[in-house]
Amino acid sequence: MDTVLQRTNGRKAMRPGDLSRSLIIVGTFGVVAALAAPAIGFAADPPRPPNIVVILGDDLGYSDMGAFGSEIATPNLDSLATSGVRFTNFYTHASCSPTRSILLSGVDTHLNGLGAMDEFTAPNQMGIDGYEGNLNDRVVTLPQLLRDAGYHTYMVGKWHLGKSPDKIPAARGFERDFTLLDGMGSYWDDTNFSALVPRSLYTEDGKYLTGLPKDFYANKTYTDKLISYIDANHGDGKPFFAYVSHQAPHEPYHLPREWRERHVGQYDIGWDQLRQQRLKRMIELGIMPADTKLAERLWFVPDYSLLAPATRAVLGRKMELYAGLVENMDFHIGRLIEHLKEIGEYENTVFIFFGDNGAEGNELAHMIGGTPGTRDFLYFAGNWSQTDPKAWGDPGSCISYGPGWAQVSMTPFSQYKAWTADGGIHNALVVSGPIVKRPAGSINRGLMHVADIMPTLLELAGASYPKTYQGRELPALLGRSWGPVLAGGAEAVRTSQDVLAWEVFGNRALRQGDWKLRWEHKPFGKGDWELFDLARDPAERNDVAAQHPEKVAQLVALWDEYVKANNVVLPSRSPFEALEDTMPPRVPDDLGYPPLVNKRQYTPPKDMMADPKP
Amino acid sequence: MSDTSSSRTRAGWLALALASMLVIGALWPSLASAQVPPRFYWKTLSGTNAVPVIVNSMSGNTNPFDPAHLVAPGANLDATLAIGGYARMFTLLDRAAMGAVLLPMGRISGEVSAAGQTIDSSARGFGDPTFELDVNLVGPKAQKNLVDVLRYEPGFSLDVIADLAVPVGEYDSGQPLNLGQNRWYGRLGAPIVWQLGPWVPGRRTTLELLPAVWLFGTNDDFEGKSLETDPMFQVDAHLTRDFTEHMWGSLDGAWYTGGTASVDGVEGEKLDNLAFGLTLGYQINDNLGLTMGYKSTVNDSAPGDLQMDGFMISLVSGWHRIIEGARRLKGGE
Repeated sequence: MDTVLQRTNGRKAMRPGDLSRSLIIVGTFGVVAALAAPAIGFAADPPRPPNIVVILGDDLGYSDMGAFGSEIATPNLDSLATSGVRFTNFYTHASCSPTRSILLSGVDTHLNGLGAMDEFTAPNQMGIDGYEGNLNDRVVTLPQLLRDAGYHTYMVGKWHLGKSPDKIPAARGFERDFTLLDGMGSYWDDTNFSALVPRSLYTEDGKYLTGLPKDFYANKTYTDKLISYIDANHGDGKPFFAYVSHQAPHEPYHLPREWRERHVGQYDIGWDQLRQQRLKRMIELGIMPADTKLAERLWFVPDYSLLAPATRAVLGRKMELYAGLVENMDFHIGRLIEHLKEIGEYENTVFIFFGDNGAEGNELAHMIGGTPGTRDFLYFAGNWSQTDPKAWGDPGSCISYGPGWAQVSMTPFSQYKAWTADGGIHNALVVSGPIVKRPAGSINRGLMHVADIMPTLLELAGASYPKTYQGRELPALLGRSWGPVLAGGAEAVRTSQDVLAWEVFGNRALRQGDWKLRWEHKPFGKGDWELFDLARDPAERNDVAAQHPEKVAQLVALWDEYVKANNVVLPSRSPFEALEDTMPPRVPDDLGYPPLVNKRQYTPPKDMMADPKP
Repeated sequence: MSDTSSSRTRAGWLALALASMLVIGALWPSLASAQVPPRFYWKTLSGTNAVPVIVNSMSGNTNPFDPAHLVAPGANLDATLAIGGYARMFTLLDRAAMGAVLLPMGRISGEVSAAGQTIDSSARGFGDPTFELDVNLVGPKAQKNLVDVLRYEPGFSLDVIADLAVPVGEYDSGQPLNLGQNRWYGRLGAPIVWQLGPWVPGRRTTLELLPAVWLFGTNDDFEGKSLETDPMFQVDAHLTRDFTEHMWGSLDGAWYTGGTASVDGVEGEKLDNLAFGLTLGYQINDNLGLTMGYKSTVNDSAPGDLQMDGFMISLVSGWHRIIEGARRLKGGE
């Protein structure tokens, strides 16, 4: 422990009482024995605490990085992966703001204000603590505590955790910021997505912007701003915490023209083949076990082999743009990395990179403005009607790649964003920098959670999580520090008895060890509890609830405990409540069925063929 | 939550692309005014067919049926000219190509000054049919399927063209005005389409150039005399721009030089003229394109200058077997 205290030299020192409280909190989660490891691991840290850069890809899929098996070129993210460690068993939440709220508060969504997304708060959740739709004031944020610990705190990119003056980044601990407050918007300007919210709202250093900088493009501007913030304070001896909350690759896929033509025709092979190719690479890389099977192709997603070439080209174009957008984001992340190298800060910077939830298979724009005769349809006609594929990527175009490609991004898992199958909540995680003592480029399969980041970084900064903040009692942290794992002293921070749980939109899940209990709205789920053995079936193909009723009962009891402990109020309304009535009947994805359209022309033996007789 | 919107977008894109595909590359009164119209050399799907109906109302001191623009000083001619034709896109060694045949027809009348006298003259009937072969050399490869169509952008495209007119049109050596020219003639050229900016319907902009040389045979019975014409060089230029997905316009210019005519060895004046015009195009539906234009020579007040102006309206119908079949199936849903 001395080493931990020594690292606080030159900053606000950790008080012994803080450390004790930290120990008590972590100890309650049953990992006291592992605590020695992080101190050992961090003992070799340089005298000044490291800078911290947390980077989010918005709706980035599990398999979308080269280092996780993608054909998408992400050399800069891959460089972080090959110098650091890849975590293959990392969980976020199923949608944006819930994940971000956990990241920045370390507290369960039903307590921190994101028990429901602001856009979908159900009538029975209105007015209930924990369901404010923004990061409530009953939690303290990671930047607040890091700032108190002597860090500069910077944020660029998407916030999605509240818009009022007391909720914006400047009010939640960020010293400098350039922020999109909304959950989505144009990358080129401030056009937003509904008639009632026509303009995206941005802040810079705590002020609401009346316009955007000249030559604004989200990925570039966010990076430029962050670099300027870092440079402004560089040399004052204080470390910085940077939250790089990229808007990319969330829809709409807006990207410069020169980035759109990097994969032309590459995706004409379709989602089925591409999923197979990615899984093969993932197995070769060691990301997934050799016997991993792909999740079913969702029943409403067309069999690509049955599509006409032109249809393949049009659908493939969407994936081309997505890939280009991911590569553009990677390029700008590379600019940041390069800049840190130039100013001599790279070696003393911890990077954490992950996607905020499963890849996006829902088509939000269609949900909002897709019904002719509505107010929002008219708004879309005026603002989002650049539908020609040659215009895709331009201002006014609104493209997302849909469920087929989302399944590719989530290879090998089932489903996608907003659902509690692993395709909605399982993400790729890369951690690099001086805290990583594991072999460079190594892979870890320990069960990790986004809630772990707050205790990990507080420990790294020599700070602790207080019981109260500004006079308010704080809820307990949800996660565990990764210190033991990063230091190489442990393979996981959780035992097979530890529990993780999720709920959003009424979709819910609970994981204990390799068992996963899942409830989803029909027809994605059964409207009932399903049980999966993730060790045997990571793609959640086989519901084994009927074979293991005792396990279901045990996990449901744990779920009930979770509900009680976290004030979970299941929503009375959900964006998916009527889905079953609007989708085709669910059928299996048996390859080659029906033979009617899959059998090829029969070729008779040549010696049995003859010209017609006169 | 479904792929419905994807399907809609897909259908929308295909419809736009196919509509463009079927009507672009249409045929124009190229021989009548000795200038091809804007967007004439845009490429389409191999196998596309097009039939134009083009009507011109022209006046000036030259016979618009004569691409050599032999100036008749003091003449005041009016012509109503129609052109029917057929064109087909095909692939030649992986390059886009087009074969076309055009048949001019109509009537011309006016006052012609000859030997100090002014006489009225008129003619009607069919002109000389012309065959054209166009092969792209630089630019995207031929559009052999719908995927190629969807991905087509001209960028910088360079073609070569060869025209040949067959002298079988109406001709009376006793008349100063004729529809047929009673001699072989043709053209070699290098059309250029230069894409400026994005290739998005509604925002497309092009600069198009056509340097060409016209070559003429000898008319041994030009009112009983022999008419020879030197090669005539011509450069057409168009700056075109979409106004909407379905409407576009063009500023047109043309420069003619050379083409000195000799009648029984007596040389006339060399052409050196400029003409400017405007064109508006509108795509009526997937198969029909409408175009209207006006063009006039400028700085043409001297008696020997070429004077010509004319209004043009055209309707071009295009079709492709696959597209028509898809439309029938879709209509049957």
